[in-house]
Amino acid sequence: MTVLKIENLVCGYDPKKPIIKGISFSVKDGQFVGIVGPNGSGKTTLLRSLVGLLKHQDGSIIIGNHHIGNLDRRELARRIAFVPQLMEPIEGFTVEDLVLLGRIPYFDRFTFETDDDYEAVRWAIEELKVGKLRERQIDELSGGEFQRVAIARALAQEPRLLLLDEPTSHLDIRFQVTICKLLRKLRSHRSIVATFHDLNLASRFCTKLVLLKDGEVIAEGHPDEVVTPQNIWKAYRIKVQVKKTDKTQKTRYVMLP
Amino acid sequence: MIRKLKKKEEWLAIAGLAGILLLVMFLSLFLGSVLISPVDLLNSNILWQIRLPRVVLAAFIGLLLSISGVLLQGVLRNPLADPYILGISAGGAVGAAISIALGANFVVLGISSVPAMAFLFSLVAVYVVYKLSQVGGRTAPETLILAGVALSAFCAAILSLIIIMTGSLQSIYFWLLGSLASASWSNVITVIPYALVGAGVAYFYSKELNALLLGEEMAITLGVDVEKTRFILIGAASLMAATAVSVSGLIGFVGLIIPHWIRLIIGPNHRVLVPISALSGMLLMVVADTISRTILAPMEIPIGIIMSLVGAPFFLYLLRRRRIEGK
Repeated sequence: MTVLKIENLVCGYDPKKPIIKGISFSVKDGQFVGIVGPNGSGKTTLLRSLVGLLKHQDGSIIIGNHHIGNLDRRELARRIAFVPQLMEPIEGFTVEDLVLLGRIPYFDRFTFETDDDYEAVRWAIEELKVGKLRERQIDELSGGEFQRVAIARALAQEPRLLLLDEPTSHLDIRFQVTICKLLRKLRSHRSIVATFHDLNLASRFCTKLVLLKDGEVIAEGHPDEVVTPQNIWKAYRIKVQVKKTDKTQKTRYVMLP
Repeated sequence: MIRKLKKKEEWLAIAGLAGILLLVMFLSLFLGSVLISPVDLLNSNILWQIRLPRVVLAAFIGLLLSISGVLLQGVLRNPLADPYILGISAGGAVGAAISIALGANFVVLGISSVPAMAFLFSLVAVYVVYKLSQVGGRTAPETLILAGVALSAFCAAILSLIIIMTGSLQSIYFWLLGSLASASWSNVITVIPYALVGAGVAYFYSKELNALLLGEEMAITLGVDVEKTRFILIGAASLMAATAVSVSGLIGFVGLIIPHWIRLIIGPNHRVLVPISALSGMLLMVVADTISRTILAPMEIPIGIIMSLVGAPFFLYLLRRRRIEGK
């Protein structure tokens, strides 16, 4: 089933100079889609318009069966959750407090968190394997721990679609792989769209890649089809060799000297 | 070190504070410029017509100011915000002073002209400060404070002008000092609805205030209508501050000290922060008022002076701490 369908999407900050210039792609149930492309290609802008932070100028975004414009904020927040590149740690909050913020779209004006909400929080914390940190203060966590907690917060929203803006960019390689493995596991419950800088990481873990350049899709599909010397030359203007690694049979590129 | 309270502990803390508040209010009834034996006091007008309304008024002024501070700090995402520091109280005082100087004492929609004018002018003040906070996205907290300082100075000048032009020195000067000496049951009745409605709004918007802890954009992705929330909560904060000003004049720093202090103890979760700050604000004002009545008895020191003596150094300490932490 299609979770997200984008058609001829145009968006940006200045109506005269759109950053995303008419792109289309779709995300199906259980897919882990990586958005890749050079700096300034519009990756973050695309995510911002999907999560409702930026009104699109043309085209359509369809979430499940609903046009994004027909969903109110809370309905949208129950369907799509967003993990920004950098989230501010809140002084005085524990991990559980922070993850509980993800339940806000489910509260009514005069009600507060119920047992169901705590159940969802517990589930999200377990999924991200941060159970041991539940009572810890947010500002005492390491970068990798904090990123997992930030994802748990988004997961507590119980979204159909989880959007992440460069989830690995501030992490060392060990945590990059940890986070990607967790995301790959999470996609069994919900679809994931994440932007990446590291093509190798993205092609190893994503089920589908969308390669952007200057606000347009230049390649889309299975990582093997997207990560080719021709596409990378088109997007980044660098020459690479593409190889399959022996063990995993995953595509990876090697930069030529 | 902040320790998170368990659900049960939250209720215990709230009930305990409420108990302490009632006890302190009760004790404070027996202290004052005239020392009377408790038995005689029970039968005297001093207790029922002077001290009781005054103690109750002090408590509700404390609630108004502390919740106003919680709301402003939360919505402006600025830990140094407070109705007094941002010049909102001073704006309200100008409105109230104009109303008094003109001798206008009409009633609009059940609101008498003095609080109505105070509210109107404090809204103007908050609008100016708010617009300044909007320039270029997020302003440094200190910029907002400077805007508040300038606004307060401007309002003080207008107040002085009104005093000179009308010669109504006595009645207006009281606004500059902040005092509960004119407390009466009618004042109490004016204040209570605003205090209760304001506290209710703050409590039931605590999820929005919590979402805002993550920043405005993250609050939007959590389904919060940030514009509407800001409009309602800044409106509520101004109304609460204006109500306090119209009755008791300029009392500073309550809205700054209380939320800060409470946050250091129980953390920033507004669902707990709001009720505990409300009760602590009430307690602080009852204690401060008792001191103002007794420390130099039979003379009375306006409570605004006491709060500034305590609050200003606290504010400086906060500024210094922020500098050290580099935040």
